[in-house]
Parts: sequence; structure tokens; C-alpha cells
Amino acid sequence: MEKISFILNGLSVELAVDPKARLVDVLREELDFTGTKEGCGQGECGACTVLLDGQAVNSCLVLVGQIKGRNVVTIEGLAKDGKLDPLQEAFIAEGAVQCGYCTPGMVLSAKALLMQNPLPSEQEIKEAIAGNLCRCTGYVKIVQAIKTAAASL
Amino acid sequence: MAFKWIGRPLPRQDAGGKVTGKTRFMSDLSFPGMLWGSVLRSRYPHALIKSIDTGEAARLPGVAAVLTHQDVPGLNGYGIVIQDQPVLCADKVRYMGDAVALVAAESKEIAAMALDLIRVEYEELPGVFNPEEAMQAKAPQVHASGNICRHTAVTHGDVEKAFASAEAIVENTYHTSCVMPAFLETEGGVAQIDDRGFITVWCGSHYPDRDVIQIARSLGLDKEKIRVIGNPVGGGFGGKDEITIQIHLALLALKTGRPVKIILNREESVVSGWKKHPMTIRMKTGAARDGTLVAHQVTIISDTGAYASLGGTILNSAVEHCSGPYRAPNAQVDGYCVYTNNSVSGAMRGFGVNQVTFAMETQMEILAEKLGMDRLAIRLKNGLQTGDKGPLGNEMITAMGPVQTLAAAGATDLWINRENYKANPSRPWKKRGVGLAAAIKGCGLGFRLPDYGTAVVELLPGGGFRLGVGCPEIGQGNSIAYAQMAAEVLGCHPDQVEVVTGDTAATPDSGTSTASRSVYVAGNAIIIAGKQMQQRLKEAVAEELGVPIEEVNLSEGLAAVGGKSISYAQLAEKILAGGAECSEMGRFHAPKAEKEIPGVYGLPHLVFGTHAHVVLLEVDTLTGQVDVLETVALPDAGRVINLQGLEGQSEGGTLMGMGYALTEEVVLEKGITKTLNFNNYIIPTAVDAPRVTTIPVEVMEQTGPFGAKGIGEAVCISITPAITNAIYDAVGVRITELPANLERVLAGLMNQGKTGISGHGRSISTS
Repeated sequence: MEKISFILNGLSVELAVDPKARLVDVLREELDFTGTKEGCGQGECGACTVLLDGQAVNSCLVLVGQIKGRNVVTIEGLAKDGKLDPLQEAFIAEGAVQCGYCTPGMVLSAKALLMQNPLPSEQEIKEAIAGNLCRCTGYVKIVQAIKTAAASL
Repeated sequence: MAFKWIGRPLPRQDAGGKVTGKTRFMSDLSFPGMLWGSVLRSRYPHALIKSIDTGEAARLPGVAAVLTHQDVPGLNGYGIVIQDQPVLCADKVRYMGDAVALVAAESKEIAAMALDLIRVEYEELPGVFNPEEAMQAKAPQVHASGNICRHTAVTHGDVEKAFASAEAIVENTYHTSCVMPAFLETEGGVAQIDDRGFITVWCGSHYPDRDVIQIARSLGLDKEKIRVIGNPVGGGFGGKDEITIQIHLALLALKTGRPVKIILNREESVVSGWKKHPMTIRMKTGAARDGTLVAHQVTIISDTGAYASLGGTILNSAVEHCSGPYRAPNAQVDGYCVYTNNSVSGAMRGFGVNQVTFAMETQMEILAEKLGMDRLAIRLKNGLQTGDKGPLGNEMITAMGPVQTLAAAGATDLWINRENYKANPSRPWKKRGVGLAAAIKGCGLGFRLPDYGTAVVELLPGGGFRLGVGCPEIGQGNSIAYAQMAAEVLGCHPDQVEVVTGDTAATPDSGTSTASRSVYVAGNAIIIAGKQMQQRLKEAVAEELGVPIEEVNLSEGLAAVGGKSISYAQLAEKILAGGAECSEMGRFHAPKAEKEIPGVYGLPHLVFGTHAHVVLLEVDTLTGQVDVLETVALPDAGRVINLQGLEGQSEGGTLMGMGYALTEEVVLEKGITKTLNFNNYIIPTAVDAPRVTTIPVEVMEQTGPFGAKGIGEAVCISITPAITNAIYDAVGVRITELPANLERVLAGLMNQGKTGISGHGRSISTS
């Protein structure tokens, strides 16, 4: 066990945890932030995507010892003051959500993209979410939602 | 008739919770004092269990329970049709996913350590991994009853005579691969027991009411003591229809008295979970000179793996759909569902129809070529229409859409101008092709099984309604369709309808969310319940205002008579005064065919959804890689209830059927799964996904709610042969074995000497 401090969704967090614990487990089991999902445990599916200092990362591949002092944003932290992020609004409006299990990771990968590249091409969108598997939607409405969100920014 | 809500592309009510992470899936739940459960799986694909020693594991600090077959209080078996799968194996294991023991411990880590400490002594048996070998008399026996789980043989008409009259006969053997649902949420959930000994299981499911029966039977408890909450589900696609971990969860809760959680990791899910049946299909099809199909002879060998589950039923579904969306006036079908020591096959989106439709739609192309006919023309000529007979002699008396969807496919720009689309591949060594295919898929449970929908509409204080339907929301979007149908009947906004699904203590049994049935049966039940509620509201208004009931008009949350109106909120205040309740139940029994097909248990279906696909793709002649560029999806779901939802089904189904066509395969070597995760089980990503344009073809079904029929499976069927047919169109390689991966396409190119490697490939590599 070690004391580890980091910023989670804008708030300081200090935890006594095993630094070798996976970030996804700490988020879900220690902190009850279950919006972060696990789908494969080896960085293939993207369901556990969070933002780490603004970059989309698979939290199943990050050990909590690696995030000391760093800035983590999960899906729970995306809406600001009760107002949904434009990406969240667009995912709802465009029908980009079916079972919803990939949705948090998908939205966060899209968020990382739009923070870097506010007006991405369709190909850039597809590449940005290529690490996020979705089995329900065929990605058509997800790509459309990201375009819609980008256009609204 | 103009509708207020039917057909509107309304956003789903559950989307807000899902985009914010607030939705709790079953694997997200936690309870105070909760233990972690783990399952000890088999070490061999086929072995006798000589002994199990749990002593050391049980003594490990932090372990609350170690359970074996001796701890199963009731029937140590489950299965939707035949209960041949042990909850915990007693004397024999039949596949690598078999459960041998359970552990509940204070942490995941301790549970894992305890699994390592369980000593199981096995005597390995020779296994059987090929269904055709399993059918031989001297093959190792998976079950004492023999390796043939179901044999279905049916003949309609005179096949021999019809073949003798045929102008062209095509005979081929097709192999389809083992694929899996690959839902993003693995099997996971929690069970808890209360002070009365009542157990609640939270676990993703296609049919919580049936899970209750299976859990109660194995625990030796009354069904009334079990509650299953089966949604929200992080994807099902058939793979959560049969029991996954529900009995294990309930058993651990019963034995420990504490909440217990199990989440299978991806690898364990892949090894133990339900797959689509790999099939070997021999098909001989004869046609007259004008392209009319005259004879069809089919042999199907289906590998159901170690346990039956729905294997026999899926075989029969394949038999029923053996000529795809086409007439076949003389047909002979011989089908075998066979046990092996491979993984377990069960329900998966399409239910046996993907396999035979892939074969049939390839036969049609070859026949067209032999007869010098247009690929679309031969299909239109043979398309099943209302009043036709299916290949097994059953009459199609409901709305049939093959001809209409195929005609619509033929009218698409992609089809009409296909030569233009093919003209300019992205690289000189790539070749483009356009393909077409169609499929039908029966909606509902067929002839034998009770097939009903039930809905309860309850008036709430405030004037809204709660709508309870047992069919779970597995992600497909049935709950927004339910809200729209209820709102249409009740004269309110869909937001005023709170939909509750998939909870055996809160929703009426409405059957499964499978078999493309939940909108069809539950929709009809909602209309019945809604009309009864409408009557109740009108009665209350008539009484309040002293007017005849016929003069009361309900719409937009208001009851209006002449110039006066009462809001539903005011009505609710009056009706519910003093704690009164106001709810109405509607029950719909799906119509059945007049008679069963002789020799084919449980069939036919009566209502069919249809889907056609047109696809443009590009084949890399150097690598064999196929890129699907453009698809047009043409679903006939009857009346569209929610256009956005239908498009979502079509787009997702298209991609799932594309994975089946091109990349997906669960590889097993002597019963050992080699593709354990998404690093080598390749499902399509966003980069692989083509554009999908959905064009609904509404062939109204009179028995359907507002004319709707089910489409959740048909959407993923026709795309597969449309792709393989497009590969042939591009490079002349005929795909008879799925998936059409790089190796297979390249081998086909090499066989015909068409690969760019030996020809002009090198010289253009600099371009």
C-alpha cells in the first residue's frame, strides 16, 4: 500500500492503494466510478478509456502508481455543472447509443480527439475511435455524432 | 392513417444514463459485505473426474465457500430444452468451459488463489472435435445417449423427378465458422439472499423469467423465492439467452448467505460462452431453363459442442430456412445436430439462418451464371410471396417481403450504376465488386412453444404511465419502441411513459428478447393494455363531466369533450384518490400456422422479416484483403416504429454479418480455444466499417403492432453472402468457406493464377 494522489474529474483524490493496482480497478472498485467499463483487460476494446492529462488511455493498462499527481477524467466528469458535453448531447440525439457499454470509452476517445483537433475529417474520427470496439451500432451513428458535436463547438 | 409517434426517430430514453456513466450495468453493482465468486473450469476437453479435493482451498484465509457438485441441492443440470449441462460437473467434463467448482472469497485475488488450491484428479478421454467423425459409430461418446443430439429429415414433393427435369444443377459443400456474440460486457452480475431466504440475481439475460425456472430447479427452491433482474445488458446477441453464471451466483449466495459477484474475464467468457453453430452444408439445387428453382436437396451437419442448449431448435430453424427467401417446390433436407468436445454452440443472432442463407445465396449466383441469367432476375423470379409455399410445404400466409426488398435493392443507385462504382479502384492492384443477397428470418418461437407478449400499463400520479414488459432491453432499443407504441394508443407523449423491462418482480412474463419477437408480441400486448387503459380514462371523464363515453377524445395528455378538457394529471388525481390503483394488463398470443411441418418439431414460423443488402467492396489482389466500401441495407420490418432504432439495427447487423463474412473465427484445436481475446478474434472497428444507407421497405404485417414485424436478426444475415458474392464479382473467387479472410481469398486468387504477385504486381508497387 502506498499513498497516491491525483486529480479525478477536477477534484483531488488521495488513496492508500497498491501502486500495482490497475487504474480501472481502482476507479470501479475503490471509488465506485463504474462508468469506466472493462471489456477485454488487455487494451483491445477501449471500454475502459479515460482521459489522462487529456490523452485517451486504456485504464486496464495503466497502473495507479503511474498517475501520481496527474489529471484523470472519467465519463462521470465530462458533464460540467449538470450540462452535458456536446459529445454526450450528440450521442443521444444521433442514436449513437445502443447497449451503451462501449459508450463511455467511445465518448472519451472522441473528446480527446476534439481537444486536439476540433474539426476532424471522417477518416480522422474513425482512426481516433479505432481502438474502441462497438458490437451494436456499426459505428455509423457514432461517427455522425462526433461530426455533429464537432460542428457545434 | 396518420400517426403521432409511430415511425418517429425519437432518441432512446436510456441514452442519457449511458452517455454519462450513470447507468449501472449488472457487472457494475456492489453490495456491502460482498464476496467475489470464481469458477474452476475444466483442464481437459474430455475427461473423467476421479476425485475433487477442496480441503486446502477451503482452509485458505478469506475463503467463504468452495462448492462442488455435492453442493447443488436440486437438479445438477440446466439447458433450455434438455438439461444436459451440469451446474458443476460430477463425474465427467465435456469441454474446456465446463464448471467443476466454485469459490467465494473476500477478494478476487483470494478467490483466484483458492481456485489454484483445488485438486481435481482427471482421467483424460479421447475427444471428438469434428462433428462428422462424431457421427461415426466408434467415435468417443460425449453423452451416454450418443453423439447425435437431433436428426431432422423432411421431404416435400418429388426431388428426384424434379432434378431430372432441371436444366441446371449446382452442388456444393459449404463450411461456416464458429463465431461468437462478442458482447462488450462479459457475463457478470451479483446475487444476494435476504433474511427470508429469497434470492435476487442481477445478471444480463434475454429472458429473466426462464432464468428463474432454471435457478429454482437447480437450487431446489420454489420459483417464488427467486427474482432475476436481467437488464440493462451490455450486449447479448443470443449469447445470454441460455444460463451463463446465474445458477452459480445464486448457489454461492445461498451457501454463504452474503452477496456474491462474478465477472468472467474475456478469456473465460470466450472459452465457456455460447457460440454460433459451425455448420457443414451440402446443397444441391436445380433450376429450369428460365431460372425457376425446381429441386433443392440439403444436408446440414451442425456442431453443437458439448451440450444441447438450443442446438436442436437451431438445426430445425436452419432446415426451415434452407432455401433462403426463395421458393423450392421440391425439397429434401437431412439435418444433424451433433455433440462434440468443442466449445458450446447456442443461440446467436440469426439462429441457424445465417449459415443456410450464405449457402443458398451462393447457389443462386452459380445457377444464374450457369443459366446466363441476371443475378437479380433469378432472385426476383423465385422470391417467396404471400400465398407461396415454403420449401417444406408450409404456406406463407403473412406479409412476405423478398420480392419487394429485392426490387428495392435493384432500384438502388449502387446496383443500377454498379459498373461505374467498380470502374476506379483505389489502387491498380485492387479490384472492385458489387454483390447482392436477401434473407428471411422467422419472427417468434414457431409452432409448438407458447408465444405470447404481456404488458401492464399503470396510471401514475401526475398523469403519466408506467409500462411493464418482461422482454429485457438488451440494447436493441425495444423500450423506446414500446414507449412510442404506448404513447400512440394512450394519447400522451412517449416521455410520459416510463418503461420497465426484464425484472421478474416488476414486469409480467412476456417471453424472450430473442427470435426477432419482442416488438411484435409485446407491441401487440401494449396495444391491448393501452386500449383498456384508454377505456378506463374515458369512463372516468364521462362520469366526472356527465357526458357519453363516446364523446371523450384522448390526445396529447388531455381528455377533451366538446369545449372542455381535463388533463391526465387531474384525471389521475381523481382515479387514484384514496390510494386506488389503476392498471391494465394486455396479453397477446402470437398466431400459429394451421399445422406443424411433419417431421420438423416446432415449425413452421408464421411471420417473417426480410432483409436485402447491396454491397460494394474492393479486393487487394496482392494480400487477399477485402475492404467493404459501401452498403445499402433494405430491411422489411413491416411498419417502422422508430426509424433511428431500425437504422441502428441495420447498421449494427450489417457490421456483425461483415465480421462473419471476413474476419471472425473462434479457432479451436482439439477442443482448445486459440482465439481468446480481441487481439486475434477480429471484430470490425470503425476504420473497417463501410457507409451504410438504410432504405426501409415496409411490407405491412396485419397481425403486427401497427403493421410491424421483427427484424433484429435478418439485418445480419444477407450481408454475409452479399459480401462473398461481391468478392466473386470482383475477382472470380467463389467463397464456400467462411470467413473469407486474407488467406482464403489469396488462396483462391492463387488457384486461378489471378494474384497480382505473379503478374504485374511488382512493377506497380512503386505507384
